[in-house]
Amino acid sequence: MMELYELGVREIVEGIREKRFSALEVFDECLGRALACEGKVSALITATADTGRAHARQIDGYVAKGEPLGPLAGVPVILKDNICTHGIRTTAGSRILGRWAPPYSATVWDLLSSAGAVLLGKSNMDEFAMGNTCGTSAFGPTANPWDVSRVPGGSSGGSAASVAAGYVPFALGSDTGGSIRQPASYCGIFGLKPTYGLVSRYGLIAYGSSLDQIGPFTRSVEDMELIMHVLARHDPKDSTSVDKSEIDFTRRESKGEKPLKGKRVALVKEFQDFTLDPPIADAIKRLIRIFEEMGAEIAQVSLPTVARYAVACYYAIAASEAHTNLARFDGVRYGYTVTTAAGLRDMFEEVRSKGFGAEVKSRIIAGTCLTEPVRSEEYYVAATRVRTLIAEEFRKAFENVDCILQPVTPSLPGKIGESDEDAMKGYESDLYTLPVNMAGLPGFSFCTGYSDSGLPVGLQLVGPRWSDKNLLNMGFELEKVLGAPKIARGGN
Amino acid sequence: MKLGSDDVRAIAAEARLSLTDTELAGAVRYINNFLDMVDRFKELDLKNVEPFCFAETNVCPLREDLPAAFTRSEEILADRADGTGAFFKVPRIMEE
Repeated sequence: MMELYELGVREIVEGIREKRFSALEVFDECLGRALACEGKVSALITATADTGRAHARQIDGYVAKGEPLGPLAGVPVILKDNICTHGIRTTAGSRILGRWAPPYSATVWDLLSSAGAVLLGKSNMDEFAMGNTCGTSAFGPTANPWDVSRVPGGSSGGSAASVAAGYVPFALGSDTGGSIRQPASYCGIFGLKPTYGLVSRYGLIAYGSSLDQIGPFTRSVEDMELIMHVLARHDPKDSTSVDKSEIDFTRRESKGEKPLKGKRVALVKEFQDFTLDPPIADAIKRLIRIFEEMGAEIAQVSLPTVARYAVACYYAIAASEAHTNLARFDGVRYGYTVTTAAGLRDMFEEVRSKGFGAEVKSRIIAGTCLTEPVRSEEYYVAATRVRTLIAEEFRKAFENVDCILQPVTPSLPGKIGESDEDAMKGYESDLYTLPVNMAGLPGFSFCTGYSDSGLPVGLQLVGPRWSDKNLLNMGFELEKVLGAPKIARGGN
Repeated sequence: MKLGSDDVRAIAAEARLSLTDTELAGAVRYINNFLDMVDRFKELDLKNVEPFCFAETNVCPLREDLPAAFTRSEEILADRADGTGAFFKVPRIMEE
């Protein structure tokens, strides 16, 4: 018999409605699973056992009285620790916000909470979402629940690890250059980076505002559709939120034996020259066969500007936006502060120099450098023009194809503590994820199976703007063939 | 043009960051590698290319200009480093 922590979102919602188990039983089993794994995995910065149990009891009260229940009533969730939760510590993985409890909640948490989801904790992340290993967190690294000597990916590594290890059936992360899709791939689960504008960013601690997007991690595509149905709402508090209420994530058409007949799935010509770990290269070949068997046509698109310029363009824009966004952390209004500074400028310098970690400081300095009047036209403004070329290249490519099939990363997860001497080499490994953010596209990361060494092997589908539902529909068909992601041992 | 230690220290100061000697050496290496990376843009002719903007956010969304009460001022004031009443107290602003 399955343990309660192994259930998905839909099964939990149905079980609570049908009184087969209570919301409190689900919460306590999930919390128990988290505690059994935390010693080795360290996915959480804060566990919210007391408030979560109180909320679960409240849901059980509604069930007992026969009152209406929200679509996610009693489902435990973990939020990345850059998503603001009123009265609950929200650190962004940084010392500078180490004790900060926001006076307001992010719209996504308001939506989930209103739908009945129960918060189990806030997850570890690279500091201010800057990193791809979960290793720049001021709270120490998170481990991959499939092999605790390896990284879970980042920056939303804690959220991905917690869903993979069975702490919760779903979690939220944020994706600025791959921070949902890459940890989803490393941890062997589903991760969606929605189209920029589909999910509100209000209350997300900003890194690169024109790139950041909140999205879910799940262990089934159906669960992801249920979550997106709740999250994809226009928000007047986010001026980049777009009203796409016509997209109905809960409706799926059944297509019989050839469900993808007529779909055109493309490979990127320029990416085929790059080296991939053999299990990832093999997964691409296997997926091509699966797509063809399901009736899809395999095509090719050419993205030369993306292949050569996207990494440089992304880091120029992300660093420039980060330096502006992180200027607000000064120790005066909230967060880490010092009491010994002689003057205001000394206070700012001391707070920021002690409060930020090395990677964050490097990117702030890079952003300051690129946006100085003497260099701005040459670098920052140039990057915004290159970004137009990149978005245009994608737009043209999607005139002829429905989606692109591509790797998420060139390699399987590395060992904790390993890093490139030259940071730019590490940045290059993000080539497959960050162009998606440059053009504001949706990207869906899915588990294709497991390598001989037992590590999950992920790939991603990338579509044109607002094609999120189509990507999930294709993902649903793929899941039938590939099987649902398994729950990782979590160091046990 | 490569940036030296003095250049990087001045940029860091603009960002209100002070660096130890070890951090500074790392930052000089990092920023010069970063500039090498973004120098790639010079291969492109960008004269007639507009800066990027999402099609949907080209128009500024407007809503009714109505006052809305914010009831959590006390919580915000509770987070401040120093102060009394509704005021934030900061160290001396004018340099000696």
